Amino acid sequence: MLKKRLIGVVTVKNGWAVQSFGYGRYLPLGKPECLVENLDRWGADEILVQVIDRSAKKLGPDFGLLAQLGAIGLETPLIYAGGIRSVEDGVRLVQSGADRIVLDALLHEDLRPVRGLSEQLGAQALIASIPLAFQGAKLEWLDYRTRTSSPLAEDVLGLIQSGVISEVLITDWQHEGMPGGFEQKLVEHFPFKDVPIIAFGGISEHEQMRKLMQSTRIAAVAVGNFLSYREHAIQEYKEVLTGMPLRLATYESTYSLIADV
Amino acid sequence: MNQVTVGIVDYGMGNHASVIHSLRNIGFRVRVSDVPEVLDATDILVLPGVGAFPAAMQALHQRGLVNYLQQQAREQRPIIGLCLGMQLLTSASHEFQYTVGLDIIPGEVVPLTGAKWHIGWNTLECVNTDPLLQPSDGQAFYFNHSFCYQGPNEYQVGLSRHPGPFAAVIRHGNSVGTQFHPEKSQVAGRALLKNIILGLTHA
Repeated sequence: MLKKRLIGVVTVKNGWAVQSFGYGRYLPLGKPECLVENLDRWGADEILVQVIDRSAKKLGPDFGLLAQLGAIGLETPLIYAGGIRSVEDGVRLVQSGADRIVLDALLHEDLRPVRGLSEQLGAQALIASIPLAFQGAKLEWLDYRTRTSSPLAEDVLGLIQSGVISEVLITDWQHEGMPGGFEQKLVEHFPFKDVPIIAFGGISEHEQMRKLMQSTRIAAVAVGNFLSYREHAIQEYKEVLTGMPLRLATYESTYSLIADV
Repeated sequence: MNQVTVGIVDYGMGNHASVIHSLRNIGFRVRVSDVPEVLDATDILVLPGVGAFPAAMQALHQRGLVNYLQQQAREQRPIIGLCLGMQLLTSASHEFQYTVGLDIIPGEVVPLTGAKWHIGWNTLECVNTDPLLQPSDGQAFYFNHSFCYQGPNEYQVGLSRHPGPFAAVIRHGNSVGTQFHPEKSQVAGRALLKNIILGLTHA
């Protein structure tokens, strides 16, 4: 049976891994490669590296960071987000070691490269990033570059429904970084019932994760800031969530505990 | 075990860092090349792959590797295909268009039925007593694909379900293909690679 996934998220700004709060306040954590290496060692189901200043500064993807991560030799699937402008960018990212890529700014700007990427890499490699919040009773979609919100665009919804993209990353951007903040209603109000969703933003509590994973619409739960507070956070979450359709926690040591005699 | 040298067939698609790291982590020597003479000096060939089937076959043709790989298979040289690399071992694929494959393992690559794609960790079920695979029975591996193998049951040695069963591991003689990415499947993937490589090279 296909498992639900617990994704570790590393947010990168100005070359440093940061804790992010509400898409507007950031605290430095250290070198991204160190955090990614930890998530790999702790047995995350996937690792999402999102470089949040690349599109706003029109810098393109951070291929240098990807090269650094490649040197680690990750044994965990890597998802990359940040600065993707074209089919060429996406293909080069996959050739540089990303297993999947997240598209955000392109969804606001131009959907043609998104379709092109789907043809080149397959829909399974593409994830749509949709930061959402409620304005009154309506869902509003945030353009993080301008910090303006608008209703979800029909052409983007059509693209998602057509299967050009395999999963949607729904971020509760207003509650990002707030313990237990993720609003599950964002998922319930998302228009399509059959599109797999990755939930992100303010997910920290065990019961909250359990409830999210019980939803048939949710394929994965992504956690960022809350993995940074302690060692082996992935294993700890998985142990508490035993019984959920989640891959079991894994443990390994480079060194054998049994001496050769 | 340390004597085994693995040759990664480089046909210009995808990134080999994780495969190289995994193999070296197990204790194998690794060579990456598209030159037959270099690959000849290794004990086993690994055909990795990310991307689309037609482009990958075109890349193999451009490098003159199609005849080489087919000849190696005829000589019972061990070959492992990973994900797209597994699909390339088959007779043909229907991805985008009908494209002839390496035809090392009879069967074709067709769209998944019952789902548009299959992304994430899924359990491997061994369907016979293949000793290469038995230790991995029940373990979870990372999949990321929308096409799968369709062919005679005799070549299907491991299955997964999404929701119906499909071939997760295929084998014909000394050629083995995994639809999942063992190099991205952490401890379980490393153990499986070790068992397959040692099993094929010490047979």
